[in-house]
Amino acid sequence: MIRAKRILCALLSVVMITVLAACANNSKKQVNRNAAIYFTDDAGKEISLDAPAERIISLYSAHTENLYSLGAEDRLIGNYHTAVYPPEAAKLDMYDYSADPEKIITANPDVVIIRPHISRTAPDFVEALLNAGICVVSLYPDSLDKFDDYINKLAALTGTEEKASELLDKFHSELQEITALTKDSEPKQSVFFESTETNIRTTTPDSMAGQAITMAGGINVASDAVSSEKGGTIAEYGIERVLEKADDIDVYVSQRGAMNSGGSLESIAERDGYDVIKAVKNKRVYTINEKLISSPTFRYVKGVREMARYLCPDIMDNYDEYRNDKEATRKDFANLIVKHEHMPIYIPSSSKYYDTPAKGHTFGLFEDVKWQDNDFDYIETAVYSGAVLWTKDGDKEYFHPDKSVTREELAKAVFVLGDFASNGKDTPVSDLSECDNSRIVQILVDNGVFDLNGGSFEPERSVTNNEIIAALDML
Amino acid sequence: MKIKKILAAALAGAVLTGVCACTANSTVETKGDVSKQAILVVSFGTSYNDTREKTIGAVEKAIEASFPDYDVRRAFTSQTIINKLKDRDGEEIDNVTEAMDRLVSDGYGTVIVQPTHIMNGYEYDEMIEACAPYEDKIENLRYGKPALSSDEDYEAVVKLLADETPDMTAEDTAVVFVGHGTEHFANAAYSALAYRLAAEGYSKTFVGTVEAYPGMDEVKAKLENSGVSKVALFPFMIVAGDHASNDICGEEEGSWYTELKKEGYEVTAVKKGLGEYAGIQQLFVSHVEDAINGDGEEE
Repeated sequence: MIRAKRILCALLSVVMITVLAACANNSKKQVNRNAAIYFTDDAGKEISLDAPAERIISLYSAHTENLYSLGAEDRLIGNYHTAVYPPEAAKLDMYDYSADPEKIITANPDVVIIRPHISRTAPDFVEALLNAGICVVSLYPDSLDKFDDYINKLAALTGTEEKASELLDKFHSELQEITALTKDSEPKQSVFFESTETNIRTTTPDSMAGQAITMAGGINVASDAVSSEKGGTIAEYGIERVLEKADDIDVYVSQRGAMNSGGSLESIAERDGYDVIKAVKNKRVYTINEKLISSPTFRYVKGVREMARYLCPDIMDNYDEYRNDKEATRKDFANLIVKHEHMPIYIPSSSKYYDTPAKGHTFGLFEDVKWQDNDFDYIETAVYSGAVLWTKDGDKEYFHPDKSVTREELAKAVFVLGDFASNGKDTPVSDLSECDNSRIVQILVDNGVFDLNGGSFEPERSVTNNEIIAALDML
Repeated sequence: MKIKKILAAALAGAVLTGVCACTANSTVETKGDVSKQAILVVSFGTSYNDTREKTIGAVEKAIEASFPDYDVRRAFTSQTIINKLKDRDGEEIDNVTEAMDRLVSDGYGTVIVQPTHIMNGYEYDEMIEACAPYEDKIENLRYGKPALSSDEDYEAVVKLLADETPDMTAEDTAVVFVGHGTEHFANAAYSALAYRLAAEGYSKTFVGTVEAYPGMDEVKAKLENSGVSKVALFPFMIVAGDHASNDICGEEEGSWYTELKKEGYEVTAVKKGLGEYAGIQQLFVSHVEDAINGDGEEE
C-alpha cells in the first residue's frame, strides 16, 4: 500500500478521482511532471512515477526480452504467456490478456506494460486493470527510428538508463558494422521477403524487415508493396507479382512465427509455379524467425546479420581468424561448423517450446553457455544440428565451451554433416577398437577425410582450428 | 362455459398442430433421405499446407473417384489445427460434430464415416463417440475402419509397402518405418506389423515409433544385429507433417535421421506420408466399400 501511494500513475489517479477526468492527458493535476520518472506512453497517456517500478508484469514478448537485456529481470514478476526468450523468462508466471484480469490484479503488480494492440483487442481487460489501480503503460515502437525512445522508456521505468545507453550504442554500431561489411558487395542481391504464405504477403520497405534488407546490402524486389492499412507493415503482394519478378529474385526469405504455415523449405520450392524463381533454382530459399526480424528487441541485430548471411554468405561467414594451428576449443568448433556450413542460427519457433520435454538438449539451458554470450547462437545451432555433442549431469546440461576437441569428435561431426558412404576399402586402422564410433572412423579414413599416423587414428588427440577447417572442407 | 370450450378447442388444435409439426419434423430431420448419400472422411488434420493435399486430399480424391454417387466431405479431429487454419489462412474445416450437423441439416440419410487413422486408437474412439448422437438422426449411418484393422489389412499394407520400397529387398540396407505411437492399447498394431513384415521375409525392415514402443533404442538394436551399413527411413504416418519433418527426417539433434547417422549408418530419409501411397488410398477405398456393404459397420 505504501508503494501504491508512492507511485503516482496518471491514469490511476484519473480513474479514482473523478469521472470527468477520465481523459488522462487532459488532466494535468494528476500527473507529476517533475516526478523522477515522467514520459508520455504510446497510447498518449502521461506516466509519472517517483521511483522505478518493482513489480512489473509484461504482456508482450518484446518488453520481456528487452527488460532482461536491460538487466531489469528482478523487477519482472510476470510474463506474457507465449514469451520464451530469453530462456529463463519461460520460468516466470505467465499471464494472458484474453484471461481473467483478476489473475493479474491478485499478483499485485505496480506496473503492467502492454502495447496498443492489447487496448484495441481487449479494452475491457485493460479497463479492469486501471480500475484496480494498476499503472498500465502502453509501449510499441512502430518503426525502427522509434526503437531508442522505446528502450529509454523501459529503462526509465526500471532505472536502467545507463545500461540502455550502453546497449543502444552497441546495437547501432553493430548494425553499422553489418552495413559497412555488405555495402560494397557485388553483385547486389535482390530479395523477396514473404511475411505470410497466405496470399503471399510481404513487408513494406520502411518496416523493420524491410530496413533489414537494406542494411544487409540487399535490394527489396517488392519495394512497390503498399500496406492496405495506414502505417501498416504487412502488404498483400500475390503470387502473380512474385512470379513476374522470378528472374530477379536472388534470395527468397520466408518469415516464420505464429502466422507461419509450418511448411518446410522444400515446401516453398514445391509451390505451383515457384520452380521458375531464380532463388528456388539456386537453392537460396531461407526462413527467418519473426522474433529476430520484425520484433523491437536487441535481437534485431541478429536478424539483420542473418539476412546479411543469406545475401553475402562469404563476407559474413568469413572465418579467417580461425586459420591457425592453435588447439581448437569447442566454442571455436561450433563457430567454424556454423560459418563453414552457412547454417541459419537456430531459434525455437514454438511458444510451447518449454512445455514439451526435449529429447535432446533444451535450447538455452546449458549451465556454461548463457544467452548473453557472443557464441550462444553458434553453440546452440551446432548442437541443434546434431554435429556437436554435450553432456548431462543429473538435470543439468553442459557444453564445455573451453574444452578441446578430439579427433573422434571431429570425425563424428563431419560424418553427421556430410554424406559419406562406405567404399569397401577397409583401410587397416590399428586403434579402431579404441574408437567408440568405429564405423564412422573407418568410413572417413577410407574416404580420405582423416590421415592415419603410423596406422593409428588417435581418437583422443586434440585437433587444431586448421585441422577442423581441413575436415570441414571435405564436406 | 363457452369460453372454456373455445379455449379447449384452441388448445387441442395447438397440441395437434404441434404434434403434427413434430412428427413431420422428425421424419425429415432425424432420418434424412437415404438416397442422399455422403462419405465423411475424418482425419486428424495438419497445419502443413504442403502435405495436406498430397496426403489427406489424395485419400479424399481416391474415395471421391470410387464412389461417384456419394458426396465426399472433410472433417478434422484436431480442434487446434482447425483453429490455426481458420486464424492463419481463413480456411474453414469442420470438426466431426459440425460436419455431422451439416449432413443432418442438408438432409443426408446415408452417411459413411471413414477415418484416415492408421489404427483403432484414441482418435478413432473419439470419432465414434462424436458420431454416436447422430445414429438417431441419420437413417443409414455407418463407419469405415482405420487402415490396420483386419488380418487382410496387415497383409495389404506389407504388400503395398514392399511395392513402393525397393530397399526392402536390398542386401546392405535396412528399411525403418517410423510411426507415431500411442498409450492406447492399439499401440500393439506396430508390433503386429513388424511381426508380419518379418514373417513375409522382410528380415531387414523394422518398425519404430516416435512416442511409444518400439522406440529408437529398440530399432537401433535391431539395426546393429542386422549388420547393414545403410538405413532408409520412412514415416509411417498418413501425413508427413510436423513429426515427419522434425522428429523423423529432420537434420537435427534427436531426430531419427541424425541419431542413426551418429551411429555411423548412411541414412536416407524420405519425407512421404502414407496418404501419398496409392495402395493406402485404395485400402481406405476398400474400407468405405466394406462399410457400404455392411461389413464395416459398428454397433
